Amino acid sequence: MGEVIVITSGKGGVGKTTTTANIGAGLSQLEKKVIVIDTDLGLRNLDVVMGLENQIVYNLVDVVEGTCRLKQALIRDKRYENLYLLPSAQTRDKTAISPGQMKKLTSELKEEFDYILLDCPAGIEQGFQNAIAGADRAIIVTTPEVSAIRDADRIIGLLESNHIRDMALIINRIRMDMVRKGDMMTVDDVTEILSIPLIGAIPDDEQVVIGTNQGEPVIGLDSSAGKIYLNVCRRIMGAEVPFADLNAGRGFFARLTDAFRKN
Amino acid sequence: MLKTSSVAVAKSRLKTLVTSDRVCCAPCDYDNICRELFSSLSKYMEITEENFRVEICRTHILITFAGDET
Repeated sequence: MGEVIVITSGKGGVGKTTTTANIGAGLSQLEKKVIVIDTDLGLRNLDVVMGLENQIVYNLVDVVEGTCRLKQALIRDKRYENLYLLPSAQTRDKTAISPGQMKKLTSELKEEFDYILLDCPAGIEQGFQNAIAGADRAIIVTTPEVSAIRDADRIIGLLESNHIRDMALIINRIRMDMVRKGDMMTVDDVTEILSIPLIGAIPDDEQVVIGTNQGEPVIGLDSSAGKIYLNVCRRIMGAEVPFADLNAGRGFFARLTDAFRKN
Repeated sequence: MLKTSSVAVAKSRLKTLVTSDRVCCAPCDYDNICRELFSSLSKYMEITEENFRVEICRTHILITFAGDET
């Protein structure tokens, strides 16, 4: 029996889609059978981030409406063993499907896949309600900014009132140079406010932009963000993986100076 | 060193925002809630501003009383 995980944030542009693509690729690298579903109707993106945009024939709405069979709409990612994408519809909007239909679809998929990852649209309206309808767990993505954290807090409240209590936090785009200067919130600052367990702290990595340009998950490239994403996947699977020191590579004296500079 | 770091500003703004979002009311209402809870409880218990704390979480309101300090 598989698990349905919704990847959500409230605010747009914090990295939900990139996170979904990388966790999907990572879990399949760890020999799990994974399907990633783009639930953002009208603003299809996950296919582009994964580099599968030229292979789309049918989409999520076609499956829900019965225009095609589920198998016909699934796109297999040839670079990974057991990774499938169910793309969103570009020409329809959020009202084309209902939370009930999503629930039915995800429960069918649970029979066949180990993990069903739902890339949630930004906002808290029907697109969000559709995405969380069948979810067993949630991963909340945020960046160390006031607006993103505020939205994440609201999303956590909404998930709690929808009885999704298994939540984990990913803090994305951390810039250690700014953290050291006291100009960016630390991982601890963010987790203290949101008070849900941390599952990943991702540095702001150029490789993520390069990967997205090429339609390649960063997990497949040699990069610090890729390695961290792989550890996030291990934690999703229940392993206890210690958190990497984002300061690694800095010398002793540099760290000593940091220690005196902390507020 | 004397300049307040931008993180300190961000954290204090966030705390105010998040608290008022959680109870769906204005930040000044939060202060009033605390004040009124304090005055109601002080009719029944010996409390001071130091040992009494109200914390608003997402799904519940937590009232903490530190009790006797030893």
